[in-house]
Amino acid sequence: MSKHKDTLIEVRDLSVHFPIKTRKLFKTEVQMLRAVDGVSFDIKRGETVGLVGESGSGKTTVGRAILRAIDPTDGEVIFHRKKKGGIDLAHASEAELRKVRSKLNMAFGESGGGIKVHNLADDLLRAFRPEMSLVFQDPYSSLNPRMTVRDIIAEPLIASGKYKNREKVDARVREIAARCKLNLEHLRRFPHAFSGGQRQRICIARALVSKPKFVVCDESVSALDVSIQAEIVNLLKDLQEETGVSFLFIAHDLSVVAQMSHRVAVLYVGKLVEYAPTEKLFFAPKHPYTHALLSAIPSADPDAGFDPIRLQGEIPNPLAAPSGCRFHTRCPFARDRCSAEQPEWREIEPDHFVACHYAKEFNFSRS
Amino acid sequence: MSKMLSVENLSISFRTDEGVITPVKGVSFTVEKGRTLGLVGESGSGKSISTKALMQLLPGTARLGAASRMIYTAKDGQQISLGNLRHGSKELRRIRGGEIGMIFQEPMASFSPVYTIGNQMMEAIMLHRGLKKREARQFAIGMLNKVGISNAAARVDQYPHELSGGMRQRAMIALTLSAGPALLIADEPTTALDVTIQAQVLDLMRDLQRELGMGMIFITHDLGVIAQIADDVAVMYLGTIVERGPAKEVIRNPQHPYTQGLLDAIPSLDHLHDRLKPVPGDIPSPTARPGGCPFHTRCTQAIAGTCEVHEPPETSAIPGCAVRCWLHTSQGRSAA
Repeated sequence: MSKHKDTLIEVRDLSVHFPIKTRKLFKTEVQMLRAVDGVSFDIKRGETVGLVGESGSGKTTVGRAILRAIDPTDGEVIFHRKKKGGIDLAHASEAELRKVRSKLNMAFGESGGGIKVHNLADDLLRAFRPEMSLVFQDPYSSLNPRMTVRDIIAEPLIASGKYKNREKVDARVREIAARCKLNLEHLRRFPHAFSGGQRQRICIARALVSKPKFVVCDESVSALDVSIQAEIVNLLKDLQEETGVSFLFIAHDLSVVAQMSHRVAVLYVGKLVEYAPTEKLFFAPKHPYTHALLSAIPSADPDAGFDPIRLQGEIPNPLAAPSGCRFHTRCPFARDRCSAEQPEWREIEPDHFVACHYAKEFNFSRS
Repeated sequence: MSKMLSVENLSISFRTDEGVITPVKGVSFTVEKGRTLGLVGESGSGKSISTKALMQLLPGTARLGAASRMIYTAKDGQQISLGNLRHGSKELRRIRGGEIGMIFQEPMASFSPVYTIGNQMMEAIMLHRGLKKREARQFAIGMLNKVGISNAAARVDQYPHELSGGMRQRAMIALTLSAGPALLIADEPTTALDVTIQAQVLDLMRDLQRELGMGMIFITHDLGVIAQIADDVAVMYLGTIVERGPAKEVIRNPQHPYTQGLLDAIPSLDHLHDRLKPVPGDIPSPTARPGGCPFHTRCTQAIAGTCEVHEPPETSAIPGCAVRCWLHTSQGRSAA
């Protein structure tokens, strides 16, 4: 993958497998559910990468594995610091680690090198948490009803242990709350007093209060009405412009993803099929699956034709993923090679990655 | 074309701890045979409960307004006033399922998890079509085939959890249609589905409607879906229909500031670099319904002294369309 100096997050061959146990009469069978299988991509500083795919394709698992909310089975997640050098936390000895733990600021300060998030030890991970954050889908279930908005937003700061002084915490909470269009009166209230859009603004304030470099937005606008959704999208864009934070924007609504993202990655049954700058992906996709997915968006323009490509069959069960290209069972262009050989993840044009044997032959350009 | 359902002045109120709230106020609409009425609105606009009132599916704390009229013309031509049917009466049982079918948003929640798909379908078929068990099973398999479920003869004996989301929603459609309703109410049937599956389900519903000549009420918050499936549309805001008319006309040339705002807020692939335009403000809570025009708190074109005081009447700016907004009345124009 690219070793660009602006790269913030580098994901290499990330795999997450879950053991599924089925109890038979006398024995327990264990099958591996390959939720995410060999996913590689990178996210630059200040960039939004959209991640789309149908339910069960592993979008959420990718997001959580990058944050180490789920431990990856295999592969690497590297968080790049601006300056090179520093300590290799992944391979440091126990004695060295102990030394580092007492000087966490040194490890994560300006001198830190690439941090291998995928095998960071637990207590180091905890210290590293303020750098990364998450906004959930449902703003109703993700806020503790017994905490005031001020306490909710302040919690990440207090948990990080960097802010010992209450006044400093309050100052930072007020600052981020104001940015998310919440006023001082709001901070004293409990979540039940707020509408869906306001709650999502509280969630965003909580995610950004520790000044993270990277935030995963997992279906963060999907539960909101269109009129409110537009407001949250605008807010996220503004905050990104001001703070330079990078987003991984996971959603199943393709038009919102297009609006939000600089680049978009498409997942199908745990594998990336295409990754390209937004305009290329939406107007000149190279993978037949991306093409089919785009054709299914209903347009609000009554004169626009609506003729979705009818994919045959159902999304395959990841427990029994098809051989070769995982899309070959539903692909209208599938040939013999597709079921036998796994397509390579290659850069077909600069910055345009695709996993399809015949990508060069397709021209799916849309006006 | 014949009118099969006419709803006039429907108001629904609930007694709650915070006092009486009225989530639906003076709603009127009609459904014609073979046509689809789209009900659009944000959450809390009263789309779902207006249609639940038709089937008497509201909770016991609900009260219908005195002036509410819901007249349904049954398959045999009999006119039935839906509001007057008694709970548990034979007539109501015939209406539910047999005359008016309903599909809900969450297909997992609307199937019973402890019976097979076939079992649940056969129950409806035997009840509404009077078939014997064996014939009912054949009929159920036929219906599953019709909605595009492969290997229907095996699927009929499976439990709901064994089917994928899209398939479950198709099975739900098969179940609803197997009772042979003349009017189908679809309450956000595709909202929980992926776009590819949504496209399949919309396609299926369009085809089946054409084939069976049903009337349909399609509830959604997605104007893109409305543009593709509805013939007529009614836009709801806080329990009132603010604009209605032929779907194409309303979407192409919206008259009410709320409809305009909703359409402007939709992200479009044609304007990737423009900022989205949200409708300013938040939806007021149902306990604090604004007086006058319900939308005046968020309207950018509100006329001070008029909109927050008086409720606007329904006027027709374009033939076939109706809008509730002071901007389209002579009074409002002179006040502005």
